[in-house]
Amino acid sequence: MKKVEIKIQVNGKWYELAVDPGDRLIDVLRDRLDLTGTKEGCGEGECGACTVNLDGQAVLSCLILAAQADGCTILTIEGLQRGPELHPLQKAFVAESALQCGYCTPGMIMAANALIRKEPEPDEETIRKHLSNNLCRCSGYARPVKAVFKAAKDMKEDINA
Amino acid sequence: MSVNFQVEEYHRPQSVGQAVDILSRFANSAGVIAGGTDILPLRPGVQKIDTIHHLVDISKLGLDYLKKETDHICIGAATSINTMGASPLFLSNPYGALSDAAGAHSTATIRNRATVGGNLCTASPCGDLALPLLVLDAILVAAGPEGERYIPIESFFRGANFSALNKEEVLLEIRIPLCSQKTGTSFLKLRRHQTAIDMAVVNVATSLTCKKKRCEAAGIALGAVAPIPFRAKKAESMLAGAKLSKEIIQKAAVTAAEEARPIDDVRATSAYRKKMVAVLVRRSLENSMRRCGQ
Repeated sequence: MKKVEIKIQVNGKWYELAVDPGDRLIDVLRDRLDLTGTKEGCGEGECGACTVNLDGQAVLSCLILAAQADGCTILTIEGLQRGPELHPLQKAFVAESALQCGYCTPGMIMAANALIRKEPEPDEETIRKHLSNNLCRCSGYARPVKAVFKAAKDMKEDINA
Repeated sequence: MSVNFQVEEYHRPQSVGQAVDILSRFANSAGVIAGGTDILPLRPGVQKIDTIHHLVDISKLGLDYLKKETDHICIGAATSINTMGASPLFLSNPYGALSDAAGAHSTATIRNRATVGGNLCTASPCGDLALPLLVLDAILVAAGPEGERYIPIESFFRGANFSALNKEEVLLEIRIPLCSQKTGTSFLKLRRHQTAIDMAVVNVATSLTCKKKRCEAAGIALGAVAPIPFRAKKAESMLAGAKLSKEIIQKAAVTAAEEARPIDDVRATSAYRKKMVAVLVRRSLENSMRRCGQ
Protein backbone atom coordinates (compact mmCIF):
# COMPACT_ATOMS: atom_id res chain seq x y z
CA MET A 1 0.00 0.00 0.00
CA LYS A 2 1.44 3.34 -1.03
CA LYS A 3 1.00 6.23 1.43
CA VAL A 4 -0.22 9.58 0.17
CA GLU A 5 1.34 12.81 1.43
CA ILE A 6 -1.26 15.48 2.10
CA LYS A 7 -1.40 18.97 3.56
CA ILE A 8 -4.70 20.07 5.01
CA GLN A 9 -5.82 23.04 7.05
CA VAL A 10 -8.11 21.98 9.87
CA ASN A 11 -9.69 24.60 12.14
CA GLY A 12 -7.06 27.15 11.16
CA LYS A 13 -4.02 24.91 11.62
CA TRP A 14 -2.04 23.25 8.81
CA TYR A 15 -1.18 19.56 9.09
CA GLU A 16 1.18 17.53 6.93
CA LEU A 17 0.26 13.87 7.03
CA ALA A 18 0.97 10.61 5.24
CA VAL A 19 -2.33 8.79 4.86
CA ASP A 20 -3.38 5.41 3.50
CA PRO A 21 -4.93 5.63 0.03
CA GLY A 22 -8.21 4.22 1.39
CA ASP A 23 -8.45 6.54 4.41
CA ARG A 24 -11.51 8.74 4.44
CA LEU A 25 -11.46 12.31 5.71
CA ILE A 26 -13.39 11.26 8.82
CA ASP A 27 -10.74 8.64 9.65
CA VAL A 28 -8.02 11.28 9.59
CA LEU A 29 -10.05 13.81 11.59
CA ARG A 30 -11.00 11.36 14.32
CA ASP A 31 -8.11 8.91 14.49
CA ARG A 32 -5.12 11.04 13.52
CA LEU A 33 -6.10 14.53 14.70
CA ASP A 34 -8.22 13.37 17.63
CA LEU A 35 -11.10 15.61 16.55
CA THR A 36 -13.83 13.26 17.72
CA GLY A 37 -16.56 15.89 17.61
CA THR A 38 -17.28 14.73 14.08
CA LYS A 39 -19.32 11.54 14.39
CA GLU A 40 -19.59 8.55 12.12
CA GLY A 41 -23.12 7.23 11.83
CA CYS A 42 -23.88 5.13 8.79
CA GLY A 43 -20.59 5.57 6.94
CA GLU A 44 -22.38 5.64 3.61
CA GLY A 45 -23.77 9.13 3.19
CA GLU A 46 -27.29 8.61 4.48
CA CYS A 47 -27.20 10.13 7.97
CA GLY A 48 -25.12 13.32 7.83
CA ALA A 49 -23.58 12.87 11.30
CA CYS A 50 -20.11 13.31 9.79
CA THR A 51 -20.87 16.64 8.06
CA VAL A 52 -17.96 19.12 8.10
CA ASN A 53 -17.22 22.25 6.05
CA LEU A 54 -14.70 21.84 3.24
CA ASP A 55 -13.69 25.12 1.62
CA GLY A 56 -16.89 26.58 3.06
CA GLN A 57 -19.23 23.90 1.76
CA ALA A 58 -21.10 21.32 3.81
CA VAL A 59 -19.78 17.88 2.85
CA LEU A 60 -19.89 14.37 4.27
CA SER A 61 -16.48 13.43 5.63
CA CYS A 62 -17.27 9.71 5.22
CA LEU A 63 -17.62 10.16 1.45
CA ILE A 64 -14.33 11.95 0.80
CA LEU A 65 -10.94 10.33 0.61
CA ALA A 66 -8.44 12.09 2.88
CA ALA A 67 -6.14 12.19 -0.16
CA GLN A 68 -8.76 14.19 -2.05
CA ALA A 69 -8.86 16.85 0.68
CA ASP A 70 -5.22 17.75 0.00
CA GLY A 71 -4.82 21.53 -0.02
CA CYS A 72 -8.31 22.12 1.36
CA THR A 73 -9.53 24.13 4.33
CA ILE A 74 -11.65 22.12 6.73
CA LEU A 75 -13.79 23.35 9.58
CA THR A 76 -15.14 20.91 12.17
CA ILE A 77 -17.38 21.48 15.17
CA GLU A 78 -14.28 21.99 17.35
CA GLY A 79 -13.20 24.95 15.24
CA LEU A 80 -16.51 26.76 15.19
CA GLN A 81 -16.15 28.50 18.51
CA ARG A 82 -13.81 31.50 18.52
CA GLY A 83 -12.69 32.67 21.94
CA PRO A 84 -14.35 31.77 25.21
CA GLU A 85 -17.95 32.12 24.02
CA LEU A 86 -19.89 29.47 22.13
CA HIS A 87 -20.67 30.11 18.47
CA PRO A 88 -24.19 31.55 17.87
CA LEU A 89 -25.27 28.22 16.35
CA GLN A 90 -24.10 26.31 19.42
CA LYS A 91 -25.78 28.84 21.70
CA ALA A 92 -29.02 28.60 19.76
CA PHE A 93 -29.02 24.78 19.90
CA VAL A 94 -28.61 25.01 23.69
CA ALA A 95 -31.21 27.78 24.09
CA GLU A 96 -33.79 25.90 22.00
CA SER A 97 -32.97 22.51 23.58
CA ALA A 98 -32.48 21.30 20.03
CA LEU A 99 -30.87 18.01 20.98
CA GLN A 100 -31.39 14.92 23.06
CA CYS A 101 -28.62 12.38 22.62
CA GLY A 102 -26.58 14.87 20.61
CA TYR A 103 -25.02 12.40 18.19
CA CYS A 104 -26.43 14.18 15.13
CA THR A 105 -25.78 17.68 16.50
CA PRO A 106 -22.23 18.37 15.26
CA GLY A 107 -23.30 17.35 11.75
CA MET A 108 -26.46 19.45 11.92
CA ILE A 109 -24.58 22.51 13.15
CA MET A 110 -21.90 22.21 10.48
CA ALA A 111 -24.56 21.77 7.78
CA ALA A 112 -26.36 24.85 9.13
CA ASN A 113 -23.12 26.84 9.32
CA ALA A 114 -22.42 26.32 5.62
CA LEU A 115 -26.02 27.29 4.82
CA ILE A 116 -25.93 30.54 6.82
CA ARG A 117 -22.57 31.52 5.30
CA LYS A 118 -24.09 31.13 1.85
CA GLU A 119 -27.57 32.39 2.66
CA PRO A 120 -27.56 34.70 5.70
CA GLU A 121 -31.36 34.86 5.87
CA PRO A 122 -32.68 31.39 5.12
CA ASP A 123 -36.43 30.81 5.38
CA GLU A 124 -37.89 27.83 7.19
CA GLU A 125 -38.30 25.71 4.08
CA THR A 126 -34.69 26.27 3.05
CA ILE A 127 -33.52 25.24 6.51
CA ARG A 128 -35.70 22.13 6.49
CA LYS A 129 -34.47 21.11 3.06
CA HIS A 130 -30.90 21.76 4.06
CA LEU A 131 -31.14 19.66 7.22
CA SER A 132 -32.78 16.78 5.35
CA ASN A 133 -29.39 15.09 5.03
CA ASN A 134 -29.03 15.03 8.83
CA LEU A 135 -30.95 12.25 10.49
CA CYS A 136 -32.10 12.75 14.06
CA ARG A 137 -33.55 9.66 15.68
CA CYS A 138 -34.65 11.21 18.98
CA SER A 139 -35.89 14.77 19.10
CA GLY A 140 -37.01 15.42 15.55
CA TYR A 141 -36.53 18.59 13.60
CA ALA A 142 -38.83 21.28 15.01
CA ARG A 143 -36.29 22.53 17.56
CA PRO A 144 -33.17 22.29 15.36
CA VAL A 145 -35.01 24.26 12.67
CA LYS A 146 -35.96 26.91 15.24
CA ALA A 147 -32.38 26.99 16.50
CA VAL A 148 -30.90 27.52 13.04
CA PHE A 149 -33.45 30.24 12.38
CA LYS A 150 -32.50 31.97 15.63
CA ALA A 151 -28.76 31.58 15.00
CA ALA A 152 -29.06 33.08 11.52
CA LYS A 153 -30.76 36.11 13.05
CA ASP A 154 -28.17 36.41 15.82
CA MET A 155 -25.29 36.08 13.38
CA LYS A 156 -26.73 38.82 11.22
CA GLU A 157 -27.11 41.13 14.22
CA ASP A 158 -23.54 40.28 15.22
CA ILE A 159 -22.28 41.42 11.85
CA ASN A 160 -24.36 44.60 11.98
CA ALA A 161 -23.36 45.41 15.55
CA MET B 1 -10.98 2.45 9.60
CA SER B 2 -11.01 3.27 5.94
CA VAL B 3 -13.13 2.49 2.90
CA ASN B 4 -14.60 -0.99 2.79
CA PHE B 5 -12.56 -2.23 -0.14
CA GLN B 6 -8.84 -2.75 -0.62
CA VAL B 7 -7.23 0.37 -2.09
CA GLU B 8 -3.54 -0.14 -2.86
CA GLU B 9 -2.78 3.17 -4.49
CA TYR B 10 -4.34 6.59 -5.01
CA HIS B 11 -3.38 8.31 -8.25
CA ARG B 12 -3.65 12.02 -8.90
CA PRO B 13 -2.95 12.49 -12.61
CA GLN B 14 -2.08 15.99 -13.84
CA SER B 15 -3.77 15.64 -17.21
CA VAL B 16 -6.46 13.62 -18.95
CA GLY B 17 -3.72 11.87 -20.94
CA GLN B 18 -2.04 10.76 -17.72
CA ALA B 19 -5.36 9.55 -16.32
CA VAL B 20 -5.94 7.43 -19.43
CA ASP B 21 -2.39 6.05 -19.18
CA ILE B 22 -2.87 4.99 -15.57
CA LEU B 23 -6.25 3.43 -16.36
CA SER B 24 -4.72 1.54 -19.29
CA ARG B 25 -1.82 0.31 -17.17
CA PHE B 26 -4.04 -1.09 -14.42
CA ALA B 27 -7.01 -1.83 -16.69
CA ASN B 28 -9.05 -4.23 -14.60
CA SER B 29 -7.92 -3.13 -11.18
CA ALA B 30 -8.42 0.65 -11.58
CA GLY B 31 -11.45 2.81 -11.03
CA VAL B 32 -12.12 6.49 -11.61
CA ILE B 33 -13.06 8.67 -8.63
CA ALA B 34 -14.35 12.25 -8.77
CA GLY B 35 -16.88 13.22 -6.08
CA GLY B 36 -16.58 9.75 -4.54
CA THR B 37 -20.18 9.67 -3.32
CA ASP B 38 -21.02 6.52 -5.29
CA ILE B 39 -17.77 4.60 -5.02
CA LEU B 40 -16.78 5.16 -1.37
CA PRO B 41 -19.88 3.61 0.25
CA LEU B 42 -19.54 0.39 -1.78
CA ARG B 43 -18.92 -2.73 0.26
CA PRO B 44 -16.98 -5.91 -0.51
CA GLY B 45 -19.01 -8.46 -2.38
CA VAL B 46 -19.99 -5.88 -4.99
CA GLN B 47 -18.35 -7.34 -8.06
CA LYS B 48 -17.46 -3.92 -9.36
CA ILE B 49 -15.39 -3.04 -6.32
CA ASP B 50 -13.71 -6.32 -5.41
CA THR B 51 -11.23 -5.96 -8.25
CA ILE B 52 -10.51 -2.25 -7.77
CA HIS B 53 -7.19 -1.52 -6.07
CA HIS B 54 -6.22 1.71 -7.82
CA LEU B 55 -8.26 4.89 -7.58
CA VAL B 56 -7.65 7.51 -10.26
CA ASP B 57 -8.79 10.95 -9.12
CA ILE B 58 -10.08 13.11 -11.97
CA SER B 59 -11.53 15.83 -9.75
CA LYS B 60 -8.60 18.21 -10.27
CA LEU B 61 -8.21 18.02 -14.04
CA GLY B 62 -10.19 21.17 -14.76
CA LEU B 63 -13.26 19.16 -15.74
CA ASP B 64 -15.62 21.31 -13.68
CA TYR B 65 -17.09 23.94 -15.96
CA LEU B 66 -20.26 25.07 -17.70
CA LYS B 67 -19.97 26.73 -21.10
CA LYS B 68 -22.36 27.92 -23.75
CA GLU B 69 -21.00 27.41 -27.26
CA THR B 70 -22.60 28.37 -30.56
CA ASP B 71 -24.60 25.19 -31.01
CA HIS B 72 -24.41 23.41 -27.66
CA ILE B 73 -23.97 23.77 -23.92
CA CYS B 74 -21.02 21.91 -22.37
CA ILE B 75 -20.99 20.50 -18.86
CA GLY B 76 -17.62 19.28 -17.60
CA ALA B 77 -17.96 15.74 -16.28
CA ALA B 78 -16.58 16.66 -12.85
CA THR B 79 -18.98 19.58 -12.31
CA SER B 80 -20.84 19.16 -9.04
CA ILE B 81 -24.57 18.60 -9.30
CA ASN B 82 -25.21 21.69 -7.15
CA THR B 83 -23.12 23.87 -9.46
CA MET B 84 -25.11 22.67 -12.45
CA GLY B 85 -28.44 22.95 -10.67
CA ALA B 86 -27.80 26.55 -9.65
CA SER B 87 -26.57 27.67 -13.06
CA PRO B 88 -28.72 30.30 -14.81
CA LEU B 89 -28.11 28.29 -18.00
CA PHE B 90 -30.55 25.63 -16.86
CA LEU B 91 -32.98 27.52 -14.65
CA SER B 92 -35.33 28.38 -17.46
CA ASN B 93 -36.55 26.58 -20.50
CA PRO B 94 -35.78 24.72 -22.62
CA TYR B 95 -33.49 23.12 -20.04
CA GLY B 96 -35.69 23.34 -16.93
CA ALA B 97 -35.77 19.56 -16.53
CA LEU B 98 -32.05 19.58 -15.75
CA SER B 99 -32.34 21.90 -12.76
CA ASP B 100 -35.48 20.00 -11.63
CA ALA B 101 -33.47 16.77 -11.67
CA ALA B 102 -30.46 18.34 -9.96
CA GLY B 103 -32.70 19.54 -7.13
CA ALA B 104 -34.30 16.11 -6.74
CA HIS B 105 -30.99 14.23 -6.62
CA SER B 106 -30.03 13.05 -3.08
CA THR B 107 -29.49 15.98 -0.68
CA ALA B 108 -27.82 19.38 -0.87
CA THR B 109 -24.83 18.13 1.13
CA ILE B 110 -24.16 15.17 -1.17
CA ARG B 111 -24.73 17.29 -4.27
CA ASN B 112 -21.83 19.54 -3.22
CA ARG B 113 -19.53 16.63 -4.06
CA ALA B 114 -21.50 14.33 -6.40
CA THR B 115 -20.71 15.09 -10.03
CA VAL B 116 -22.80 15.14 -13.18
CA GLY B 117 -20.45 12.73 -14.95
CA GLY B 118 -20.40 10.40 -11.96
CA ASN B 119 -24.17 10.17 -11.92
CA LEU B 120 -24.07 9.03 -15.56
CA CYS B 121 -21.07 6.69 -15.26
CA THR B 122 -22.63 4.86 -12.31
CA ALA B 123 -25.34 3.98 -14.86
CA SER B 124 -27.93 3.36 -12.20
CA PRO B 125 -31.32 2.30 -13.58
CA CYS B 126 -32.81 5.22 -11.62
CA GLY B 127 -30.07 7.83 -12.15
CA ASP B 128 -31.83 11.20 -12.02
CA LEU B 129 -29.67 13.20 -14.42
CA ALA B 130 -29.82 10.59 -17.18
CA LEU B 131 -33.47 11.35 -17.90
CA PRO B 132 -33.37 15.06 -18.77
CA LEU B 133 -30.18 14.43 -20.74
CA LEU B 134 -31.97 11.65 -22.66
CA VAL B 135 -34.82 13.92 -23.74
CA LEU B 136 -32.32 16.68 -24.57
CA ASP B 137 -30.34 14.27 -26.84
CA ALA B 138 -27.06 14.89 -25.04
CA ILE B 139 -23.77 13.71 -26.51
CA LEU B 140 -21.10 12.38 -24.15
CA VAL B 141 -17.44 12.99 -24.87
CA ALA B 142 -15.02 10.33 -23.61
CA ALA B 143 -11.23 10.16 -23.80
CA GLY B 144 -9.35 6.89 -24.24
CA PRO B 145 -6.00 5.61 -25.55
CA GLU B 146 -7.20 6.19 -29.14
CA GLY B 147 -8.28 9.76 -28.50
CA GLU B 148 -11.73 11.22 -27.97
CA ARG B 149 -15.01 9.72 -29.03
CA TYR B 150 -18.60 10.89 -28.94
CA ILE B 151 -21.32 8.70 -27.50
CA PRO B 152 -25.00 9.63 -27.91
CA ILE B 153 -26.56 9.25 -24.48
CA GLU B 154 -29.11 6.78 -25.83
CA SER B 155 -26.37 4.24 -26.48
CA PHE B 156 -24.43 5.01 -23.28
CA PHE B 157 -26.41 2.84 -20.87
CA ARG B 158 -25.85 -0.87 -21.47
CA GLY B 159 -27.26 -2.50 -18.35
CA ALA B 160 -27.81 -1.94 -14.65
CA ASN B 161 -24.63 -0.16 -13.41
CA PHE B 162 -22.96 -0.83 -16.73
CA SER B 163 -22.10 1.83 -19.32
CA ALA B 164 -20.55 2.00 -22.78
CA LEU B 165 -17.29 3.38 -21.35
CA ASN B 166 -14.30 1.07 -21.63
CA LYS B 167 -12.18 0.49 -18.56
CA GLU B 168 -9.44 2.80 -19.79
CA GLU B 169 -11.77 5.62 -20.76
CA VAL B 170 -12.66 8.82 -18.87
CA LEU B 171 -15.84 10.80 -19.41
CA LEU B 172 -14.85 14.40 -20.15
CA GLU B 173 -17.92 16.35 -21.06
CA ILE B 174 -21.65 16.30 -21.63
CA ARG B 175 -22.86 18.30 -24.63
CA ILE B 176 -26.44 19.44 -24.90
CA PRO B 177 -27.50 20.66 -28.33
CA LEU B 178 -29.11 24.09 -28.12
CA CYS B 179 -32.82 23.63 -28.58
CA SER B 180 -35.65 25.83 -29.69
CA GLN B 181 -37.17 28.31 -27.25
CA LYS B 182 -40.48 26.65 -28.12
CA THR B 183 -39.32 23.57 -26.24
CA GLY B 184 -40.41 22.92 -22.68
CA THR B 185 -38.88 20.19 -20.51
CA SER B 186 -39.77 18.83 -17.12
CA PHE B 187 -38.60 16.18 -14.66
CA LEU B 188 -40.56 14.44 -11.92
CA LYS B 189 -39.43 11.93 -9.33
CA LEU B 190 -41.50 9.77 -7.05
CA ARG B 191 -39.77 8.54 -3.91
CA ARG B 192 -41.01 7.19 -0.62
CA HIS B 193 -40.33 10.44 1.24
CA GLN B 194 -40.39 13.43 -1.03
CA THR B 195 -37.82 15.49 0.85
CA ALA B 196 -35.47 12.81 2.11
CA ILE B 197 -32.53 11.11 0.48
CA ASP B 198 -33.83 8.13 -1.44
CA MET B 199 -33.66 6.66 -4.87
CA ALA B 200 -36.59 6.99 -7.23
CA VAL B 201 -39.53 4.59 -7.22
CA VAL B 202 -40.14 6.02 -10.67
CA ASN B 203 -38.60 9.08 -12.34
CA VAL B 204 -39.46 10.63 -15.69
CA ALA B 205 -38.38 13.50 -17.90
CA THR B 206 -40.35 14.86 -20.83
CA SER B 207 -39.86 17.44 -23.52
CA LEU B 208 -42.36 19.02 -25.88
CA THR B 209 -41.73 21.38 -28.75
CA CYS B 210 -44.98 23.00 -29.79
CA LYS B 211 -46.32 25.68 -32.02
CA LYS B 212 -49.89 26.76 -31.41
CA LYS B 213 -50.76 23.56 -29.53
CA ARG B 214 -49.39 21.49 -32.41
CA CYS B 215 -46.64 19.21 -31.14
CA GLU B 216 -43.58 19.25 -33.38
CA ALA B 217 -41.45 16.90 -31.30
CA ALA B 218 -41.81 14.99 -28.05
CA GLY B 219 -39.43 13.20 -25.74
CA ILE B 220 -40.31 10.89 -22.86
CA ALA B 221 -37.60 9.21 -20.75
CA LEU B 222 -38.34 6.71 -17.99
CA GLY B 223 -36.18 5.67 -15.03
CA ALA B 224 -36.29 2.91 -12.40
CA VAL B 225 -38.59 0.80 -14.59
CA ALA B 226 -36.01 -1.16 -16.62
CA PRO B 227 -32.33 -2.14 -16.28
CA ILE B 228 -31.44 1.19 -17.93
CA PRO B 229 -33.07 4.61 -18.25
CA PHE B 230 -34.63 4.74 -21.71
CA ARG B 231 -36.86 6.68 -24.13
CA ALA B 232 -40.48 5.54 -24.49
CA LYS B 233 -40.52 5.75 -28.27
CA LYS B 234 -44.07 4.50 -28.89
CA ALA B 235 -45.53 7.09 -26.57
CA GLU B 236 -43.37 9.81 -28.14
CA SER B 237 -44.55 8.94 -31.65
CA MET B 238 -48.17 9.32 -30.58
CA LEU B 239 -47.50 12.95 -29.68
CA ALA B 240 -45.25 14.02 -32.55
CA GLY B 241 -47.33 15.91 -35.09
CA ALA B 242 -50.50 15.68 -33.00
CA LYS B 243 -52.65 18.50 -31.70
CA LEU B 244 -52.06 18.50 -27.96
CA SER B 245 -55.09 17.81 -25.81
CA LYS B 246 -55.80 16.30 -22.43
CA GLU B 247 -56.87 13.06 -24.12
CA ILE B 248 -53.78 12.56 -26.26
CA ILE B 249 -51.49 13.30 -23.32
CA GLN B 250 -53.35 10.75 -21.22
CA LYS B 251 -53.08 8.20 -24.03
CA ALA B 252 -49.35 8.79 -24.42
CA ALA B 253 -48.89 8.44 -20.66
CA VAL B 254 -50.67 5.07 -20.65
CA THR B 255 -48.60 3.91 -23.63
CA ALA B 256 -45.41 4.92 -21.80
CA ALA B 257 -46.54 2.80 -18.85
CA GLU B 258 -46.94 -0.17 -21.22
CA GLU B 259 -43.38 0.33 -22.43
CA ALA B 260 -42.04 0.15 -18.87
CA ARG B 261 -40.58 -3.17 -17.70
CA PRO B 262 -40.27 -2.69 -13.95
CA ILE B 263 -39.41 -5.24 -11.28
CA ASP B 264 -40.70 -5.74 -7.74
CA ASP B 265 -38.22 -4.58 -5.14
CA VAL B 266 -37.94 -3.07 -1.69
CA ARG B 267 -39.17 0.32 -2.92
CA ALA B 268 -42.30 -0.70 -4.85
CA THR B 269 -44.01 -3.45 -6.78
CA SER B 270 -43.83 -3.70 -10.53
CA ALA B 271 -47.58 -3.07 -10.84
CA TYR B 272 -47.42 0.08 -8.74
CA ARG B 273 -44.47 1.40 -10.73
CA LYS B 274 -46.37 0.93 -13.99
CA LYS B 275 -49.34 2.85 -12.64
CA MET B 276 -47.09 5.62 -11.43
CA VAL B 277 -45.34 5.89 -14.80
CA ALA B 278 -48.70 6.84 -16.33
CA VAL B 279 -49.35 9.46 -13.64
CA LEU B 280 -45.87 10.98 -13.70
CA VAL B 281 -45.63 11.08 -17.50
CA ARG B 282 -49.01 12.83 -17.71
CA ARG B 283 -48.06 15.43 -15.11
CA SER B 284 -44.63 15.95 -16.60
CA LEU B 285 -46.05 16.41 -20.11
CA GLU B 286 -48.50 18.95 -18.73
CA ASN B 287 -45.58 20.77 -17.08
CA SER B 288 -43.60 20.67 -20.31
CA MET B 289 -46.57 22.09 -22.20
CA ARG B 290 -46.93 24.95 -19.74
CA ARG B 291 -43.23 25.62 -20.00
CA CYS B 292 -43.26 25.93 -23.77
CA GLY B 293 -45.79 28.66 -23.32
CA GLN B 294 -48.71 26.72 -24.77
